[in-house]
Amino acid sequence: MPQLDTSTWSITILSMIITLFLMFQLKVSKYYFPEDPKPTLAATPKPVTPWEKKWTKIYFPLSLPL
Amino acid sequence: MNENLFSSFITPVMMGLPIVIVIVMFPSIMFPSPNRLINNRLISIQQWLVQLTSKQMLAIHNQKGQTWALMLMSLILFIGSTNLLGLLPHSFTPTTQLSLNLGMAIPLWAGTVITGFRYKTKASLAHFLPRGTPLPLIPMLIIIETISLFIQPMALAVRLTANITAGHLLIHLIGGATLALMNISAATAMVTFMILILLTILEFAVALIQAYVFTLLVSLYLHDNT
Repeated sequence: MPQLDTSTWSITILSMIITLFLMFQLKVSKYYFPEDPKPTLAATPKPVTPWEKKWTKIYFPLSLPL
Repeated sequence: MNENLFSSFITPVMMGLPIVIVIVMFPSIMFPSPNRLINNRLISIQQWLVQLTSKQMLAIHNQKGQTWALMLMSLILFIGSTNLLGLLPHSFTPTTQLSLNLGMAIPLWAGTVITGFRYKTKASLAHFLPRGTPLPLIPMLIIIETISLFIQPMALAVRLTANITAGHLLIHLIGGATLALMNISAATAMVTFMILILLTILEFAVALIQAYVFTLLVSLYLHDNT
Protein backbone atom coordinates (compact mmCIF):
# COMPACT_ATOMS: atom_id res chain seq x y z
CA MET A 1 0.00 0.00 0.00
CA PRO A 2 1.68 3.24 -1.04
CA GLN A 3 0.25 5.12 1.92
CA LEU A 4 2.55 3.19 4.23
CA ASP A 5 5.74 4.35 2.49
CA THR A 6 7.10 6.56 5.25
CA SER A 7 9.71 8.34 3.13
CA THR A 8 7.14 10.88 1.95
CA TRP A 9 5.43 11.33 5.31
CA SER A 10 7.52 14.30 6.46
CA ILE A 11 6.89 16.44 3.38
CA THR A 12 3.16 15.62 3.39
CA ILE A 13 2.76 16.50 7.06
CA LEU A 14 4.80 19.67 6.61
CA SER A 15 2.68 20.86 3.68
CA MET A 16 -0.50 20.03 5.61
CA ILE A 17 0.66 22.05 8.62
CA ILE A 18 1.45 25.03 6.41
CA THR A 19 -1.89 24.83 4.62
CA LEU A 20 -4.15 24.14 7.56
CA PHE A 21 -2.56 26.27 10.26
CA LEU A 22 -1.35 29.16 8.10
CA MET A 23 -3.23 29.64 4.87
CA PHE A 24 -6.72 28.54 5.78
CA GLN A 25 -6.66 30.25 9.14
CA LEU A 26 -5.42 33.50 7.60
CA LYS A 27 -8.30 33.43 5.13
CA VAL A 28 -11.01 32.50 7.60
CA SER A 29 -9.76 34.99 10.19
CA LYS A 30 -10.50 37.76 7.70
CA TYR A 31 -14.17 36.83 7.53
CA TYR A 32 -16.20 39.65 8.97
CA PHE A 33 -19.67 39.18 10.32
CA PRO A 34 -21.08 42.61 11.05
CA GLU A 35 -23.56 43.05 13.87
CA ASP A 36 -27.16 43.84 13.10
CA PRO A 37 -27.66 47.60 12.87
CA LYS A 38 -28.80 49.01 16.20
CA PRO A 39 -31.24 51.94 16.31
CA THR A 40 -29.49 55.09 17.60
CA LEU A 41 -31.21 58.23 18.89
CA ALA A 42 -31.39 61.08 16.42
CA ALA A 43 -31.23 63.70 19.18
CA THR A 44 -27.88 65.46 19.43
CA PRO A 45 -26.17 65.71 22.83
CA LYS A 46 -26.12 69.05 24.64
CA PRO A 47 -23.23 71.14 23.24
CA VAL A 48 -20.42 71.64 25.75
CA THR A 49 -19.62 75.34 26.07
CA PRO A 50 -15.92 76.18 26.35
CA TRP A 51 -16.12 77.33 29.97
CA GLU A 52 -17.75 74.05 31.04
CA LYS A 53 -14.92 71.93 29.66
CA LYS A 54 -12.27 72.99 32.12
CA TRP A 55 -12.69 73.08 35.88
CA THR A 56 -11.92 76.47 37.31
CA LYS A 57 -12.35 77.30 40.93
CA ILE A 58 -14.39 80.36 40.02
CA TYR A 59 -17.48 78.42 39.06
CA PHE A 60 -17.75 75.48 41.38
CA PRO A 61 -18.00 77.27 44.75
CA LEU A 62 -20.81 79.40 43.36
CA SER A 63 -22.78 76.30 42.47
CA LEU A 64 -22.35 74.65 45.86
CA PRO A 65 -25.64 74.29 47.68
CA LEU A 66 -25.47 76.52 50.74
CA MET B 1 -3.05 -5.33 -11.39
CA ASN B 2 -2.40 -4.44 -7.73
CA GLU B 3 0.28 -1.93 -8.71
CA ASN B 4 -2.04 -0.15 -11.15
CA LEU B 5 -4.92 -0.02 -8.72
CA PHE B 6 -3.00 1.74 -5.96
CA SER B 7 -0.95 3.98 -8.23
CA SER B 8 -3.20 6.99 -7.69
CA PHE B 9 -2.31 6.95 -3.99
CA ILE B 10 1.43 7.38 -4.44
CA THR B 11 2.59 10.79 -3.21
CA PRO B 12 3.21 12.77 -6.40
CA VAL B 13 6.81 13.67 -7.13
CA MET B 14 7.65 15.23 -10.48
CA MET B 15 11.27 14.95 -11.56
CA GLY B 16 12.44 14.81 -7.97
CA LEU B 17 10.39 17.83 -6.85
CA PRO B 18 7.74 17.15 -4.24
CA ILE B 19 4.71 18.71 -5.91
CA VAL B 20 2.56 17.32 -3.12
CA ILE B 21 3.14 20.68 -1.41
CA VAL B 22 1.41 22.48 -4.27
CA ILE B 23 -1.39 19.93 -4.35
CA VAL B 24 -2.08 20.22 -0.63
CA MET B 25 -2.08 24.02 -0.85
CA PHE B 26 -4.32 24.11 -3.91
CA PRO B 27 -7.77 24.05 -2.21
CA SER B 28 -6.98 27.29 -0.41
CA ILE B 29 -7.13 29.05 -3.79
CA MET B 30 -10.82 28.20 -3.90
CA PHE B 31 -11.40 30.44 -0.87
CA PRO B 32 -10.36 34.03 -1.72
CA SER B 33 -9.81 36.30 1.26
CA PRO B 34 -12.32 39.08 1.75
CA ASN B 35 -10.61 42.43 1.34
CA ARG B 36 -13.52 44.81 0.93
CA LEU B 37 -16.52 45.90 2.94
CA ILE B 38 -18.94 44.37 0.40
CA ASN B 39 -17.40 41.37 -1.30
CA ASN B 40 -18.26 39.50 -4.45
CA ARG B 41 -20.76 36.66 -4.59
CA LEU B 42 -18.28 33.84 -4.13
CA ILE B 43 -16.79 35.25 -0.97
CA SER B 44 -20.21 36.21 0.40
CA ILE B 45 -21.57 32.72 -0.17
CA GLN B 46 -18.53 31.13 1.48
CA GLN B 47 -18.78 33.53 4.39
CA TRP B 48 -22.46 32.71 4.83
CA LEU B 49 -21.75 28.96 4.77
CA VAL B 50 -18.98 29.36 7.35
CA GLN B 51 -21.32 31.36 9.57
CA LEU B 52 -24.04 28.70 9.25
CA THR B 53 -21.63 25.87 10.04
CA SER B 54 -19.93 27.65 12.92
CA LYS B 55 -23.23 28.55 14.59
CA GLN B 56 -24.35 24.94 14.37
CA MET B 57 -21.09 23.47 15.56
CA LEU B 58 -20.12 25.89 18.31
CA ALA B 59 -23.54 26.04 19.95
CA ILE B 60 -22.66 23.26 22.40
CA HIS B 61 -19.44 24.86 23.60
CA ASN B 62 -18.84 27.28 26.41
CA GLN B 63 -16.64 30.37 26.28
CA LYS B 64 -13.42 28.39 26.48
CA GLY B 65 -14.41 25.97 23.76
CA GLN B 66 -15.48 28.72 21.40
CA THR B 67 -11.90 29.97 21.14
CA TRP B 68 -11.39 26.93 18.90
CA ALA B 69 -13.86 28.31 16.32
CA LEU B 70 -11.19 29.36 13.81
CA MET B 71 -9.43 26.00 14.04
CA LEU B 72 -12.60 23.96 13.60
CA MET B 73 -13.82 26.05 10.67
CA SER B 74 -10.51 25.87 8.81
CA LEU B 75 -10.45 22.12 9.50
CA ILE B 76 -13.86 21.48 8.00
CA LEU B 77 -13.09 23.72 5.01
CA PHE B 78 -9.76 22.01 4.40
CA ILE B 79 -11.04 18.44 4.61
CA GLY B 80 -14.24 19.19 2.68
CA SER B 81 -12.52 21.01 -0.17
CA THR B 82 -9.71 18.44 -0.39
CA ASN B 83 -12.18 15.55 -0.55
CA LEU B 84 -14.38 17.24 -3.14
CA LEU B 85 -11.43 18.15 -5.37
CA GLY B 86 -10.26 14.57 -5.15
CA LEU B 87 -13.35 13.43 -7.01
CA LEU B 88 -12.03 14.97 -10.21
CA PRO B 89 -10.51 12.38 -12.55
CA HIS B 90 -6.76 11.78 -12.32
CA SER B 91 -6.44 14.01 -9.26
CA PHE B 92 -4.47 13.22 -6.14
CA THR B 93 -6.42 13.39 -2.88
CA PRO B 94 -4.20 14.31 0.04
CA THR B 95 -6.66 12.96 2.59
CA THR B 96 -6.04 9.43 1.32
CA GLN B 97 -2.59 9.70 2.86
CA LEU B 98 -2.45 8.24 6.35
CA SER B 99 0.43 10.61 7.12
CA LEU B 100 -1.70 13.70 6.57
CA ASN B 101 -4.63 12.39 8.58
CA LEU B 102 -2.43 11.31 11.46
CA GLY B 103 -0.73 14.70 11.33
CA MET B 104 -4.15 16.34 11.68
CA ALA B 105 -5.71 14.01 14.21
CA ILE B 106 -2.91 13.59 16.75
CA PRO B 107 -2.12 17.30 17.38
CA LEU B 108 -5.79 18.28 17.53
CA TRP B 109 -6.72 15.44 19.89
CA ALA B 110 -3.65 16.09 22.02
CA GLY B 111 -4.61 19.75 22.16
CA THR B 112 -8.04 18.94 23.53
CA VAL B 113 -6.66 16.49 26.10
CA ILE B 114 -3.96 18.88 27.28
CA THR B 115 -6.50 21.69 27.52
CA GLY B 116 -8.62 19.45 29.71
CA PHE B 117 -5.67 18.53 31.92
CA ARG B 118 -4.61 22.11 32.40
CA TYR B 119 -7.96 23.67 33.22
CA LYS B 120 -10.07 20.89 34.68
CA THR B 121 -7.55 18.32 35.89
CA LYS B 122 -9.83 16.43 38.26
CA ALA B 123 -12.77 16.37 35.87
CA SER B 124 -10.72 15.16 32.93
CA LEU B 125 -9.14 12.40 35.02
CA ALA B 126 -12.60 11.49 36.27
CA HIS B 127 -13.56 10.53 32.72
CA PHE B 128 -11.60 7.33 33.23
CA LEU B 129 -14.07 5.97 35.76
CA PRO B 130 -17.77 6.17 34.93
CA ARG B 131 -20.14 6.76 37.81
CA GLY B 132 -21.54 3.76 39.62
CA THR B 133 -19.10 1.04 38.61
CA PRO B 134 -18.90 -1.96 40.95
CA LEU B 135 -15.69 -2.03 42.99
CA PRO B 136 -14.03 -5.18 41.54
CA LEU B 137 -14.42 -3.87 37.99
CA ILE B 138 -12.54 -0.62 38.65
CA PRO B 139 -8.98 -1.61 37.58
CA MET B 140 -10.15 -3.26 34.38
CA LEU B 141 -12.41 -0.35 33.55
CA ILE B 142 -9.61 2.19 33.99
CA ILE B 143 -7.46 0.19 31.57
CA ILE B 144 -10.32 0.04 29.08
CA GLU B 145 -11.03 3.75 29.34
CA THR B 146 -7.34 4.57 28.86
CA ILE B 147 -7.19 2.42 25.76
CA SER B 148 -10.34 4.02 24.40
CA LEU B 149 -8.85 7.45 25.02
CA PHE B 150 -5.63 6.70 23.18
CA ILE B 151 -7.43 5.09 20.31
CA GLN B 152 -9.38 8.28 19.55
CA PRO B 153 -6.73 9.96 17.33
CA MET B 154 -5.93 6.69 15.57
CA ALA B 155 -9.60 6.13 14.84
CA LEU B 156 -10.00 9.69 13.55
CA ALA B 157 -7.10 9.32 11.13
CA VAL B 158 -7.83 5.80 9.95
CA ARG B 159 -11.57 6.51 9.53
CA LEU B 160 -10.91 9.39 7.14
CA THR B 161 -8.16 7.58 5.25
CA ALA B 162 -10.10 4.36 4.85
CA ASN B 163 -13.37 5.98 3.79
CA ILE B 164 -11.85 8.19 1.12
CA THR B 165 -9.44 5.54 -0.13
CA ALA B 166 -12.18 2.92 -0.33
CA GLY B 167 -14.44 5.27 -2.26
CA HIS B 168 -11.71 6.09 -4.77
CA LEU B 169 -10.83 2.41 -5.20
CA LEU B 170 -14.47 1.51 -5.83
CA ILE B 171 -14.77 4.22 -8.47
CA HIS B 172 -11.60 2.94 -10.17
CA LEU B 173 -12.77 -0.68 -10.10
CA ILE B 174 -16.32 -0.08 -11.28
CA GLY B 175 -15.14 2.33 -13.96
CA GLY B 176 -12.68 -0.26 -15.20
CA ALA B 177 -15.41 -2.90 -15.16
CA THR B 178 -17.72 -0.67 -17.22
CA LEU B 179 -14.99 -0.13 -19.80
CA ALA B 180 -14.22 -3.83 -20.00
CA LEU B 181 -17.88 -4.77 -20.30
CA MET B 182 -18.59 -2.33 -23.14
CA ASN B 183 -17.19 -4.68 -25.75
CA ILE B 184 -18.81 -7.77 -24.27
CA SER B 185 -22.37 -6.68 -23.57
CA ALA B 186 -23.70 -3.12 -23.84
CA ALA B 187 -26.65 -3.73 -21.50
CA THR B 188 -24.45 -4.95 -18.64
CA ALA B 189 -22.17 -2.00 -19.28
CA MET B 190 -25.16 0.34 -18.92
CA VAL B 191 -26.08 -1.25 -15.60
CA THR B 192 -22.51 -0.92 -14.40
CA PHE B 193 -22.50 2.69 -15.57
CA MET B 194 -25.61 3.37 -13.53
CA ILE B 195 -23.85 1.89 -10.52
CA LEU B 196 -20.93 4.21 -11.22
CA ILE B 197 -23.18 7.26 -11.30
CA LEU B 198 -24.83 6.29 -8.02
CA LEU B 199 -21.43 5.68 -6.50
CA THR B 200 -20.20 9.10 -7.57
CA ILE B 201 -23.19 10.75 -5.94
CA LEU B 202 -22.42 8.74 -2.80
CA GLU B 203 -18.83 9.86 -2.92
CA PHE B 204 -19.88 13.51 -3.03
CA ALA B 205 -21.90 12.93 0.09
CA VAL B 206 -19.09 10.96 1.73
CA ALA B 207 -16.60 13.72 1.00
CA LEU B 208 -18.65 16.25 2.89
CA ILE B 209 -19.80 13.88 5.60
CA GLN B 210 -16.29 12.76 6.45
CA ALA B 211 -15.18 16.35 6.84
CA TYR B 212 -18.12 16.97 9.11
CA VAL B 213 -17.54 13.85 11.18
CA PHE B 214 -13.87 14.62 11.71
CA THR B 215 -14.58 18.13 12.84
CA LEU B 216 -17.53 17.09 14.95
CA LEU B 217 -15.52 14.50 16.81
CA VAL B 218 -12.70 16.94 17.50
CA SER B 219 -15.31 19.33 18.78
CA LEU B 220 -16.79 16.63 21.01
CA TYR B 221 -13.42 15.79 22.48
CA LEU B 222 -13.03 19.50 23.08
CA HIS B 223 -16.41 19.66 24.78
CA ASP B 224 -15.43 16.91 27.17
CA ASN B 225 -12.32 18.81 28.10
CA THR B 226 -13.43 22.44 28.45
